[in-house]
Amino acid sequence: MMRSVYVLGIGQTVFGRHADMTVNDLAAAATLASVRDAGISPKEFQTAFCGCIYSPPTVVESSLIRLGIGRIPMYTVENACASGSSAVHLLFREIALGGCDVGLALGVESLSAYNKKFGKGLIGIEGDLDAKSGLTMPSFFSMLCNRLIQERGATLEDICYPSIKNHKNGMTNPYSQYKKEVSFQEIMKSPMIADPITVLQCCPQSDGAAAVILCSEEYFKKNNKKAHRAPVKIGGSVISVSGAHDSSFDPLALEANIMGVIDACEMAGVNPRKDINVVEMHDAFSGEELSAYEMLGLCDAGEGVSLARSGAVAMGGRCPVNPSGGLLSMGHPLGASGVRVVIDIARQLWGEAPNQVKGAKVGMAQMLGGVLSGIASPVVAGVHILVK
Amino acid sequence: MTIIFHPGVMEERNGRWVQIGRKCSSCGKTSFPVTELCPFCSSENGEMVSLSRTGTLFSFSITRVPVGPYKPPIVAGFIDLPEGTRIFGQIHAAPDEIKTGILMTMKTGVLWTEKDGTEVMGYYYEPIKTDVGGAE
Repeated sequence: MMRSVYVLGIGQTVFGRHADMTVNDLAAAATLASVRDAGISPKEFQTAFCGCIYSPPTVVESSLIRLGIGRIPMYTVENACASGSSAVHLLFREIALGGCDVGLALGVESLSAYNKKFGKGLIGIEGDLDAKSGLTMPSFFSMLCNRLIQERGATLEDICYPSIKNHKNGMTNPYSQYKKEVSFQEIMKSPMIADPITVLQCCPQSDGAAAVILCSEEYFKKNNKKAHRAPVKIGGSVISVSGAHDSSFDPLALEANIMGVIDACEMAGVNPRKDINVVEMHDAFSGEELSAYEMLGLCDAGEGVSLARSGAVAMGGRCPVNPSGGLLSMGHPLGASGVRVVIDIARQLWGEAPNQVKGAKVGMAQMLGGVLSGIASPVVAGVHILVK
Repeated sequence: MTIIFHPGVMEERNGRWVQIGRKCSSCGKTSFPVTELCPFCSSENGEMVSLSRTGTLFSFSITRVPVGPYKPPIVAGFIDLPEGTRIFGQIHAAPDEIKTGILMTMKTGVLWTEKDGTEVMGYYYEPIKTDVGGAE
């Protein structure tokens, strides 16, 4: 029997350029913010997990010792853009299965540090067969956009819609890298990367960290210092990995995404179509978000474009997607984003979000990672369902 | 000196370069590149086969910024082979010469030259000039 797992506290840095900060500086700052938010001593943690892609060794130990946290099991986990989701998932399991009562899930990344080490430009994967033939993240997602146009009847306006919406959503977010609205004309006038993807359809490179403290029901009842906060629990937590792909594979129907959502919703006992009031998801590219609506179960297969056109995913709609501004406006410190989407959903369910979805009771936090990772390009999705 | 751009993906058979895949004798699927076991069913029973040179273009991208040794516009895409395998490769054609569904043929040659003069050989694709497929 799995125990219920609750969100006790959250913290993060502003996302953006922090070229003068190390990953340890960023991770320590987010953790400190989370313990202050929860009102517990850092000494309370019984375990810690950290998601990070390009960190130096022992990032979690080196960051947490600065807050006096040691002598507990700690792990850094790498799962591409789902690294932070994986940290949350592992902590969730640890508490749900009775391994501990309270712990920390952290995510951190410094793309500034990465660029200093490896040079600027599109991130390449060493030794990858397809990367050697010129496959990049923008080229992969440009093919996805072209499939949306061909198979789903999407227009360029449809492809740009998530970027326009999310930049607008990010205007009030104090943690956001950008606070600037963009129009369709501005997006299409920005430099072309891979047709039809322009710079303003891509998330930026970012530095930042995010942290969440999870705990058991008993621990929550004893230590929830913010009594005005309603209990928010992790109803479903799934890490979903794809299998090998053959020529029947449709990038508009990523198995890892679809199965991850089905499993997480089943775990939480919710119907994605009816019950989910708000979604924070991996919008590394504007077209990616447009393609995801149907995979996340927000509508029938093939109906994602009409869902967007109906206004359902905008603020005030049936299920706003990325009210935080998403990766496109918030920024995307790779390892941190999987934790950040979870804490943004917690803010929504507590009623503390800067861009609040009124009356939100159930939310989904999703991340997708992979593609350029070697043979057969496996992908991994991390899906969390939070319930008030 | 000439080297192959990725170890194990190509072989010279009967005087011409071919891509080497693995046809699984348990599940029947053909995978590329060759891996330790079948990536679909984990069987170790299978044989190394030369892949079809001709396939159809599933999707393609036109990249407008430099990527590694490639200069823009960089045309590349996924080609579906009759054996059910999908391969990503550079496409040597002008952007307006291609559309999805058209027939493509595999060619081999120098993909790029290293600073020390080493030629790096690999495979790439070209559209087949024919009325077949979706070409207009």
